[in-house]
Amino acid sequence: MSREKDAANYAVAFFAVLSVLLLLFPVSKIANTARIAVSYSLYPSLHYGARYGYFVRNVPANFLALLETDQQNRALTEKVKDLEVKLLNVSALVAENDRLTQEMRLSRSIPWAGTWARIVNKTPADWYGSFFIGKGSDDGIAVNDTVLGMQDERAGLAGRVFEVYPKFSKVMLITNSAASAVCAIGPAGLEALVEGKGTWLLKVNYVPEESALKEGEEIVTAPGGLLFPAGVPVGKVTKVFPRESFMNFITADVAPAVDVNTLKEVFVVRRNLSPEIQAAAGAER
Amino acid sequence: MSIILELILYLAAGSFYWWWTQNLTFFGLAPNFIFAAALCAAILAGPVKAVAWGFFLGLYADMLGVSMFGGYALTYSLMAYAVYVVKRHFDMDSFFSQLVAALSLSWLCMLFYQLLSLVFSRINPTGLKIFLAEPFLNALAVPVVFQVFYWLKRRTGIL
Repeated sequence: MSREKDAANYAVAFFAVLSVLLLLFPVSKIANTARIAVSYSLYPSLHYGARYGYFVRNVPANFLALLETDQQNRALTEKVKDLEVKLLNVSALVAENDRLTQEMRLSRSIPWAGTWARIVNKTPADWYGSFFIGKGSDDGIAVNDTVLGMQDERAGLAGRVFEVYPKFSKVMLITNSAASAVCAIGPAGLEALVEGKGTWLLKVNYVPEESALKEGEEIVTAPGGLLFPAGVPVGKVTKVFPRESFMNFITADVAPAVDVNTLKEVFVVRRNLSPEIQAAAGAER
Repeated sequence: MSIILELILYLAAGSFYWWWTQNLTFFGLAPNFIFAAALCAAILAGPVKAVAWGFFLGLYADMLGVSMFGGYALTYSLMAYAVYVVKRHFDMDSFFSQLVAALSLSWLCMLFYQLLSLVFSRINPTGLKIFLAEPFLNALAVPVVFQVFYWLKRRTGIL
């Protein structure tokens, strides 16, 4: 037992002295470099703190440069990630800027007074029926104001204001199955009724059988309609259907002048309709 | 043969601790398996081997650390000696005594290492969270590590 105790005492004394020597005398450059290489490879995050300066004493300059390069690389990788995110935002902003510039240029050529508004909410359940814009009665928006969209550097009919709140308004799209507009077809100015179908297409109705309605003909709002100013592009005829035996007029599909899927901003034309006309317009869909 | 197995166990203990801290830390906390291995080796091995295990496991911890070199080696060597002294009076094989030993020695080792750090490198390496929580994790780890070491000792004769 005493022999074991002696051995234990010698062992602890030996290893304690060895440890203290390691603590007191800085280890050689090679040993310290190896130690840093091991610890840096296994726990690189330990070296990012304030202890870095203390830790890298007595280390060859080229190895120190290697460590610094690695840390710079990590910092730059983070920076590149941030910049990539920023770049994505910038490209979206550039696209928006281009679009707004185009719209501002167009708005000078629009002969009606009005205001621009952003689309703030589209309802998935009523995609081709309505959306909300970020302006309301506080901005002078009134029920039945005409809403125009811009596409291919041209203004086109998007719909009309249906409900007005102080800060926002609801727009009924021309593609809504409850929406319609009196329109003129082609250069002849033949009037017919364009109706929404609840899809991306419109339908033109009540076209006399003998009229020479052709695919590609442009349709604009007619002066005969109360709700919309005359001359606003509504769409183009895409398909003419033959007359059904029980009908005395023909119908056609119309591609809208503006694609509601790409609209971001709209131009709200102030109609300033008198109350009597408003009441009459109420009777018109 | 025995020395090779002990070397493998030594490297395995250190690697397991490194892997755990890299993958299984919980709020930045992990049991100190190097400490647990040093304590279990001190309980199971004879005095000289126990102090040697403490010293070399401490060196492993020093290799991983960023501050002074030799601090853990000294701490675990002295801990192994303390365990040798204590185990002559208490049964260290029981679960409860291992829990108590792990808790008390964890705190003593941390305080001693803190003291060494302040003396030799004037830095404060132990955070309060680690100081308060790690001993309890060590107390949970030590009985498990002890069973593994005990099984290896019976099967292979190491330690």
